[in-house]
Parts: sequence; C-alpha cells; structure tokens
Amino acid sequence: MKLELGRIKIHDVQFGPETKVEKGVLYVNKEEIEKLVLEDERLIGAQVELARPGESVRIAPVKDVLEPRVKVSGGGGIFPGMINKVKEVGSGRTHALVGAAVVTCGKIVGFQEGIIDMSGPAAAYTPFSGTNNVCVVIEPQEGLETHDYEAAGRMAGLKVASYVGEAGRNVEPDEVVVYETKPLQEQIAQYPDLPKVGYIHMLQSQGLLHDTYYYGVDAKQFIPTFMYPTEIMDGAIISGNCVAPCDKVTTFHHLNNPVIEDLYKRHGKDVNFIGVILTNENVFLADKERSSDMVAKLAEFMGLDGVLITEEGYGNPDTDLMMNCKKVSQKGIDVVLITDEFPGRDGKSQSLADAVNEADALVSCGQGNLIIEFPPMEKIIGTLDYVETMIGGYEGSLRPDGSIEAELQIIIASTIANGYNRLAARGY
Amino acid sequence: MEKKRIVHYINNFFAGIGGEEKADIPPEVREGVVGPGLALQTALGDEYEVVATVICGDSYFGENMDEATETLLAMIKEYDPAGFVAGPAFNAGRYGVACGSIAKAVEQELGIPVVTGMFTENPGADMYKKDVHIILTKDSAADMRKSMPKMAALLKKMMSGEEILGPAEEGYIERGIRVNYFAEERGSARGVEMLVRKMAKEPFETEYPMPVFDRVAPNPAVKDMKHAKVAVVTSGGIVPVGNPDRIESSSATKYGVYSIEGKATMSPEEFMTIHGGYDRAFVLNNPNLVVPLDALRQLEKEGEIGELNNYFIATTGTGTSIGNAKGFGEQFSKKLVADGVDAVILTST
Amino acid sequence: MALLITNNDKAKKFCMDCRKEVEVIYLADGTYLDVLLRTRDYVHRGYRLLTHPLCGSVKPNQTPYRSVLLEKQSAREENFRSVELIENSIDAARKFMRNRGTPRWNERTREDFKTVDLSFLTVYEQRNYV
Repeated sequence: MKLELGRIKIHDVQFGPETKVEKGVLYVNKEEIEKLVLEDERLIGAQVELARPGESVRIAPVKDVLEPRVKVSGGGGIFPGMINKVKEVGSGRTHALVGAAVVTCGKIVGFQEGIIDMSGPAAAYTPFSGTNNVCVVIEPQEGLETHDYEAAGRMAGLKVASYVGEAGRNVEPDEVVVYETKPLQEQIAQYPDLPKVGYIHMLQSQGLLHDTYYYGVDAKQFIPTFMYPTEIMDGAIISGNCVAPCDKVTTFHHLNNPVIEDLYKRHGKDVNFIGVILTNENVFLADKERSSDMVAKLAEFMGLDGVLITEEGYGNPDTDLMMNCKKVSQKGIDVVLITDEFPGRDGKSQSLADAVNEADALVSCGQGNLIIEFPPMEKIIGTLDYVETMIGGYEGSLRPDGSIEAELQIIIASTIANGYNRLAARGY
Repeated sequence: MEKKRIVHYINNFFAGIGGEEKADIPPEVREGVVGPGLALQTALGDEYEVVATVICGDSYFGENMDEATETLLAMIKEYDPAGFVAGPAFNAGRYGVACGSIAKAVEQELGIPVVTGMFTENPGADMYKKDVHIILTKDSAADMRKSMPKMAALLKKMMSGEEILGPAEEGYIERGIRVNYFAEERGSARGVEMLVRKMAKEPFETEYPMPVFDRVAPNPAVKDMKHAKVAVVTSGGIVPVGNPDRIESSSATKYGVYSIEGKATMSPEEFMTIHGGYDRAFVLNNPNLVVPLDALRQLEKEGEIGELNNYFIATTGTGTSIGNAKGFGEQFSKKLVADGVDAVILTST
Repeated sequence: MALLITNNDKAKKFCMDCRKEVEVIYLADGTYLDVLLRTRDYVHRGYRLLTHPLCGSVKPNQTPYRSVLLEKQSAREENFRSVELIENSIDAARKFMRNRGTPRWNERTREDFKTVDLSFLTVYEQRNYV
C-alpha cells in the first residue's frame, strides 16, 4: 500500500460562517458542528469552544482527541466502519490538518479523566497544549445508559473530526509525505540486506470505556492480524478508551502513531519495515494465551528479525506485554518494549505489574505517580467539578483558587506508552 | 566560622580493636577520628570536623539490632552532628548491614544527610539502597583511598542542598527509584534505535532493568524414594555446640559439614543454633525443629527412604549474599554427589 | 464450573443469571483487596484464574469494586502461573493503596464503577473457555 499524506499546517483556529482552511487558519462554523452532534438523539447538549496554544485555558474532562483528516483519493473514507463504510483504506491520498485537533469533553461516568492545560507547567506534559483545539462539550439525555453515552460520545468526536477534516480536501498541502509498504515478498526483496522489522501494536480491549475499534470491530472480538502501516493513518483504528488519562491512546495518537512514523523514517536505511501486527489485551487469560501465541506465530511466519511492541494501559496489559515479549523472543526475534511506569509516589516500587527475563530492552515513557502542581487557568472548557474524582486526583486536589495538585496521571497522554512523548524515567 | 559537625561509624576491625574475636563488642564512642576517620576528615576538608566516632562489633550489632541502634543513636545525638557517615564496609556482610541500618536510623531520627559505602554484592546494599545513598566501592579495604573521597563528596553535596544527580554521576549504587525527565528524542525514536542496535548485536542500555529472577529449574522428581540416599542441608544455622567453625550468625562466609552418624535425634547437648534471624529459644531446646533428624530416622526405619546420609551441611541464611550462597552450593553439592546422595531436603527458616 | 469472587452485586447478579453455571462468593462489605486476598486463598486450594485480577485501567485505589473468575482444576495440574499472577496483583494493589486510599464515592459513581467492572466479565457468556 502506498499513501500520500498531505500535511496542511494549521497555526490558528477561529469561528466563522463557513468551515474552511485559509492561509493556515482553520475556520469552523459553530452552529453546524453543534447541529451535527445533536443529530444523535442520545445527546441534548453540544457546546463548541476553541482553545489555542499559550492561552490560559484548562480543558476537562477530556474523552478523546482526534486529528481532522479527509480521504482525497484511493478508496474508502476516514474512520472506516465507524463514519464511513468499511471499505479498505491506506492507499491513495489523504489530507491532514496538522496543528489542529478536535477534543471531546463530557462527563460519561461518575469518575472522570483527563485535563489539558494550554499553558503553564502542565502544558509540557501533553501534546495537545500545542494544537489548535476545537472542543466539543457534550451533554447526554437524562438517565442515558452508560454504554450508550460512551458510544454517543465516541461517535460525536468522529463525526466532528470528519466534518472538520473535509475543510482540507481541496487545500494544497504544505508538504506531502509518501509512505509505502509492499506485500511481504516484494517488501523483503526491496531491501534484502536490511533487518526485517515489525511493529506489534497492542490495542486496549477490556470492556466498557476500555475498548478500541479496528474497521469498526471491537478489538476484544478479534484475533491477531496483519495491518499495513498506512491503514492507521486513515483512521482504521479508533479509540473507545476513556479511562486512565495518562496512558490513554487517543484517536489522534492512532492516526499519528509514532512507532510507525519513526520506523518509516529509517525504512530503507537501516531497517526494512515489513508491517504491523495488531493484537489485543483481553481480560481472560485464555484469550491472552491465544493472542500471544498467534502474535509470535505471525511474527515468525513473516520472517521478522526484530519487533517493537507497545501497549495501552497498566496492570492487565503488562501481562500481555510480557507474554508477547517472551514468546516472540523465543522464536529468535529481537524484541524492544515501549511502556510507561507506575512505581508508586516515592518512585521505589515495582514499575510494572509483570516481568519476564526476555524483557531486556525497554524504553520508558515516564512514571505517572509523580505529584505535580498546576496553577489556576482563566478559562475552563468543560468543567472542573470532577477533578477530585479523576484518576490521579484526590480529595483536596482542586483548591478553591482553581489550582490543582495531582498525580501526573491526570493529564491526557502524559505518559502514553507508545513513545509519542519525550518524557522518560530513569533509575536513581 | 564554625565547622560542620560529622559523626563517623565504624566496626571493631577498622577501629583497630581486633578481628573476628572482637566482633562481639558493644557500642562505644571516641572523640575525633579513629582509623579510616582520618581519611574521611582529609576528604571533607577544613570546613568540616569529624567530632566523634561510634564503634560497634559486627556480631553484636547483628544480634542486638534494636538495642545497639538505640544506644548508638543516643551517643550520636550527644554530638549534635549535621552529617553522618558509616563505613565503608566493602564486602563485609555484617558490617554492611550494620552500616545501612544505622545510617537509615540516623536519617530518620535526626533528619540529617547520611552516606555509606559498600561493594555491590554486600547484602547490606540490596537491603538498604532504597533508604540511604550507598557509594559503590570495590570488594576490599584496598579501595579505601578511592571510596572515602567519593563518600565525602556526596555528603558535602547533600549537606549544602545541591541537587543529587544519578548513580553514574555521583557514584552511588542505583537505588531503584524512578525519576522522570524529558529526553532529547521521543520514546519511539529511542525504541527504534535500541532495536537497530540489538539486532546488530551492538551494546545498548535498557531504560528499565527488569527485576532479576534468579530461578533454578527443579530437577525431575525422585523415582524410587524407598531406595534413595537422602541428605539434609540447612540454612537455619544448626552447628555443634561451641560453633567450632565459627560460622557467622548472619552474612555467613562459610558452611559446615557435621556428622550425625549413629544419632537418632539432634540433642541440645551436642547441637545449637547460631542463626541471628529468628528467636533461638525453641531451637536451642530442640534442634530437631530445624534439622528434623528424629523424623527422618523414623522414615528410614520404616523403609520410606532408603538411607539417611551420615552428615548434614549447615550455614546461616539471613543476610548472606547470593554470591556466597551460590558458591557454597556449587562446592558442597560435589561432595554430596561423590558420596552417593540422591536427594537433598533443604530446610530454611 | 467457574467460581466468581466479587464485591460487586451487579457481577453477582450477572453470574447467577448466566447461561453457564457459575458459583458465586459475594463479599458484601469486602474491599477490592479483600476480593484479591480471597482469590489468592482459592488459588492455593487448586483453582486457576480465568481473568486477570487487575483488569481495567481504573487503579486499585480508585475503584471499590473487583470481580475475579476462577475455575477448579484437576489435582494433577500445576497452577504456578495463577499463584504468581495473584501475588503480583496483590503487591500492585497494595502499592497503590499505600499512595492513597480509595475515595468515598457517591452512589451514582459507585454504580458506574460496578457497571465497568461487570463489563470485563460479560464476554464469558459468549465464548467457550476451556
């Protein structure tokens, strides 16, 4: 598959009568977005607000973040199986509004998650302090059942990202990056002297608020499979995960998967990037055995020399991570893991819930138990009512003056375990 | 300007009082420096003064930890120090445990900076590295010249409130505390780099060393127990009365081989326990509790086991370094095999 | 036959109504940790874990509810992996509790935690687990 990704650089976002992109500024029509979201009867409120880098704005509680993209050519549409039909994506040409993001906020359950600060000390920990954000604050029908609310919230984000992405269809991109992965034999033959590398991408798949979708299929229900790296760039994988803000992989992060990007950067130079193996993180141990066996089988069958593995979540997924590591290593394939850590507030406890001897090469994405202070912000998008019930927050977290003291895990994507950030941890 | 007051802790050997035969001396205090305290004073420089040295015998400390700590703390408090140094203990196990323990207590009670020094395999290192900063030393006192200045340097930094950097910069044993920082490159890029190196068999450094699980795969089960020769090995510290081999009550550096030929039971007149890690009263009264000779003779008589080996092997488990334990096992298992032993019952406490 | 150990009445109800037979041990006033400790006891009595004791990203010191599914295994089978897993899980749970205790949530929030906890188990009905 070959995909041309046209990157349209956005440096500002404004409300306007027409949703369009002009000279690097994204204009959005507030009413149209609100109307679009409220097409779903499950929702009775949709409020659109803007947040720009450097502003004194705090957004909470965040459900998902998405990058507006549009499929210009090549078959299929963005977010197949969710917004567009299930038709295969990953080829042709896609435009992305880089520097813009759609952020959905809203209370889905009694416990909340996710803060984004557009400035101040907490801003350094999330990539979304650097994007021009179209925030959609949603409100459900009275008494809406939790599963329905989650689905409604998820769809709202996808619809808005897709709608805003349309604005980029006919815009000339600032740069076009070409990504190509050939079918197995051809790909191996293209760089016969380079080591064959694969990316094992573990998707969160435990239950309500802990799901991921591949072409619209709940990852709990699938078995390990092969994916061309470019499919992810068209939204083949979207997030249904809204717990544990710090290592939540947002849809934005799926679209911009850093391992895939960084492997492509070295593709043809010192690695031959063969492709992606998708797998899940089911709660049932038998599912873990089955999935990890199949991951190792696929990796061996593809003739890989080395793999990178990333996970999403803590605790239960650590077991999958280690099982994948062990079984793939035992096939004689070199493994490097990327994950985040929870060593307790003093940093002294075991960082991961599981361990195997084969896990001798690990990249750390930082530890989420560290307590940090963030000052009050002038404007709140969403609500701060739930900070104390946020993961990472606690009684007394939110002070009367609006400042917050909480664990790092309260900030969206601060320790995301796919290596997107520069945050790391080391041993002292 | 008034000099900053430091108190130093050392053991019987470094105080010049005596060797193993003086390991049982109780805590005492002397003014000024004693032994290696001089090297400490030199390394610290003029703005600091080692005002007192507290001394304790290694086995005394090991066997009377709470009491000794209390006594020592009282002695140390008298001098109102602003900093505290223990050791360095190099590879001496009991000394290392004592250094780590007293340093931790001083930090907790007095709230002042503390530093000690040990070799990486010293059991005190694993036990106390999370609690106090332990400068990495070599395994013998020949390293004093290099270790003491490092210890002094770190203490001075801590006392002046300067930021303490990582183990590589400051020279201490990695404590296992995870600290966040922003790297030059993002995690995925570092991951790809690590993988390229790993595949090329080039050296790389993992960002999170896994806890080491030193597992030994068990041998297959004994097929014919009724004809097997069984031996007892214990880390419970059972030795002949008088401890003729002078096995230590903790951080053992040796093991003993003791005959039970013709004996039907472990008699308290012949055997005792020297293990410093449990309340010895019950076992002194009845050593069969740790080396179950009486029960095994019964099984031998009933034909449940073929034969009981005519000696048992003993050492002390508590505070004993993994390296030593491995070494003992490798050595005496050769003897056991040569003597036709098929299976071993390991008793620990 | 499977065994459910839980302090979540929604999970208890699901298992009692389930198409497959599930025995239920319901710790009405038990904490998250109590469920794990009871699970450990059963693991040592020859039960193996069907689900991961730490499932879910809501940390042990956030959610009050925990459900674990186990299954009795035959006498000859070794279940070291289950022993290891439950012990590690208990360690991890205690580590979080040491940081901070579980907050006193309101009723609505408690219901939400129960719903999420139950959602980890529901696939049991549809799939065959040997």
